[in-house]
Amino acid sequence: MSRSTESLPGGQSPLLGVWERLRSWEGLLLVLLFVVIIVNSLQAPAYLSVGNQVNLFILSIEKIIVALVMTFIIINAEIDLSVASMMGLSACTLGWLHEQGAPIWIALLIGLSVGVIGGAFNSFWIAIVGLPSLVVTLAMLIGYRGLARVLLEDRSIGEFPQWFDNLGQQPLIGPFPLALIIFFLLLIVAVIILQYSGFGRYVYVIGNNREVARYSGVKVRRAKMILFITSSTIAALAGLLFAARLGAVRGDIGLGFELDIITMVLLGGVSIFGGSGSIFGVLLSILIILNLRNGMSLANITGHVQTGVIGVLLILSVLVPNLANEVRAILNRRRRIGGPQDTTA
Amino acid sequence: MKKPILETRHVSKRFDMTQALDDVSLTLFPGEIHALVGENGAGKSTLIKIMTGIHRPDRGEILLDGQQVQIHNSQEAQAHGVAAIYQEPMVFPDLNVAENIFISHRDRGPFMRWGKMYQDAGAILAKLDVALDVRMPARGLTLAAQQAVEIAKAISLEVRVLIMDEPTASLSAHEVAQLFKLVRSLRSQGVSILFIGHRLEEVLEIAERVTVLRDGKLISSKPRSEVTSERVIRDMVGRQIDDFFAKGEAERGPLLMSVRGLSKEFAFSDINFDVYQGEVLGFAGLIGSRRTDVGLALFGVEPADSGEMIFEGKEQRVRSPEQALQLGIAYVTEDRRQLGLTMPMSIVANISLPTLRRYLTPLGLIKERAESATAEEYRQRLSIQTPSVRVEVDKLSGGNQQKVLLGKWLNAQPKLFILDEPTRGIDVGAKAEVHHMISDLAAQGLGVILISSDLPEVLAMSDRILVMREGRQMGIFSREEATEESIMTAAMGQNQMATEVQP
Repeated sequence: MSRSTESLPGGQSPLLGVWERLRSWEGLLLVLLFVVIIVNSLQAPAYLSVGNQVNLFILSIEKIIVALVMTFIIINAEIDLSVASMMGLSACTLGWLHEQGAPIWIALLIGLSVGVIGGAFNSFWIAIVGLPSLVVTLAMLIGYRGLARVLLEDRSIGEFPQWFDNLGQQPLIGPFPLALIIFFLLLIVAVIILQYSGFGRYVYVIGNNREVARYSGVKVRRAKMILFITSSTIAALAGLLFAARLGAVRGDIGLGFELDIITMVLLGGVSIFGGSGSIFGVLLSILIILNLRNGMSLANITGHVQTGVIGVLLILSVLVPNLANEVRAILNRRRRIGGPQDTTA
Repeated sequence: MKKPILETRHVSKRFDMTQALDDVSLTLFPGEIHALVGENGAGKSTLIKIMTGIHRPDRGEILLDGQQVQIHNSQEAQAHGVAAIYQEPMVFPDLNVAENIFISHRDRGPFMRWGKMYQDAGAILAKLDVALDVRMPARGLTLAAQQAVEIAKAISLEVRVLIMDEPTASLSAHEVAQLFKLVRSLRSQGVSILFIGHRLEEVLEIAERVTVLRDGKLISSKPRSEVTSERVIRDMVGRQIDDFFAKGEAERGPLLMSVRGLSKEFAFSDINFDVYQGEVLGFAGLIGSRRTDVGLALFGVEPADSGEMIFEGKEQRVRSPEQALQLGIAYVTEDRRQLGLTMPMSIVANISLPTLRRYLTPLGLIKERAESATAEEYRQRLSIQTPSVRVEVDKLSGGNQQKVLLGKWLNAQPKLFILDEPTRGIDVGAKAEVHHMISDLAAQGLGVILISSDLPEVLAMSDRILVMREGRQMGIFSREEATEESIMTAAMGQNQMATEVQP
């Protein structure tokens, strides 16, 4: 919980207290990002080229799109573990329909609808019945993945129309492919909604204390339904983009992505207990993870070691703010004769 | 003259900019009940924390049996025979009574000797004259019983000084009487008791010596026989104040709301009353009388099962707080920290929360300037002391938090204001301000329902008083009929003196 006092509290304009922010976890991430970028560009001059930067985004674009919505969910003190399975299910639905001979745009629409329906199903149990989202979405992590595998068994479906593959693989505007453009648009929308809109305020308040929200006449259930339906729908969209990028789908597509996505959000300073964090922090954390992995690849460090390093970072993200508080308390004690910080006097 | 058991000599303690304690010397004798009183922030908590080793004093010394000691943590304090129990008893609900009593004993070998433990626990409870099954899990014990367990725990540690920090805050009058019996029996066993209390009548009933702190300084320390309640209050606030602010006479306006036969299973049944505009209707009763449940039902948080509610001439079924807000009903909760305010968020965000829709552009974005202006308005109107309205609420004192909570609901511009314990845990000054505010609201034609366990407060502020007992309405008393005795008699359920149903 210690981080909750560090990062940006809701209801405060992100433009206010820039200095406060730099001293916080986000500030630390910013420094870390600069270090990673400098080290990388010393290693490989081509690193900072537009081509490499776009490529580095593209390799994880589906995860980072879903991470934006996951930020809302975790700030709301919930979790959605079913996102990666939903990516798989929407992609496999697309593949199966294609296999049956359906036109691809109908398959896309139905793939997306699967996301809406899945989200409605999740939110029924979470928002209306009131079951913990951890349990509901864990069950659906298994359930949606099972459905995906039932659809395709162990087949791999490819040979989509050329325009569909191009959409996933070729630049659409300038150097940017469709998925990256969608990400940028969603990023802007996410920042506006979370940091500046009434709905964003409700997301923070419910995450902080849902009883206070309820006692204040906030429609808590409605907010949670919106969040879980959006989460599944965006996950389905990400699954379709993934299918276009790979040009083929299988039952295990996107397997295990949910943990990478949650890592991005938590490393960005979003409290797992809800109520605090910002899109800005999550964006920084995404940039760090992408650049760090890219840099380690340039230095011939294997993928497994890379994953280990990300794990250490995540632990540090919890540890460092706590240690910083401790150090600050000790310094205060030295400076004054007074004791540790105490406001209960 | 007995020798003192625990003394603090010239103790001072500073936190950042606040001088929490300034040269405080206090002496506790064996077998003495010593009351410590003062407004919020007077330094009581700090003094207790120094005695129990949680804080160390900047200057001054602590003496036990005349010997200077250093206490570094609460274990050391316990080893010296000094223990504290707090407002909320700290019992483990899944352990039984005996296990809770002996929770701090670590010197009994690697195996549980259940038989001996039950026997010893029983003996301690018998010594205290408490009838409790030692095998019963602590879950489901009443607060008073939990406190008895805490006291038994202290006795098992052979305490010589027991510090009780507002032990009566959540107890009903009957439970307070039980607790006092316990405290007296402890005293007769030679234990010295430092009793911190907010309710003056109680303090004066139990204490043999009364010490008053104000702004970290010791103002007076006198035997009970030499003090009066007026004297103590004067010492606490440093000025002469009216004992209680009484509500001004307001013209009773038209009927605002009628409630008939309101019932909810396992909570309350057959509640009937009217509220008029400009009227304060008090809700009195002991803990467990289910007054809060009635408030929650009216506000739609926990809707009633049956009964009718006519608001401004129309029958209404309130099923949710949103609906209640639309009608013009606001409910100010008694639990500020858990249900009232989002503590890590700013004053602005808290005040605008129920009415956020007013501060949204057609696209749903927040008009920050308008929102801040509203918060600024309430900061001035309620004199909320804060450097800025963007400060997080948990950085404010209890009294200022309460004002933010009131501002939040005033801004909803309700027609009916349900106030649940609006002055609990706030200091005398803030309390008077809240009382003035209630009076002003009634004068402006609002209907007010005032739920309060503070009997003098209900008596002074209400035009009529509805008394409840265990979910049943015991009667409605007019101002003339209402006295402490008549209300308490009804609340305890001895007989029903007043008119059953409002004419």
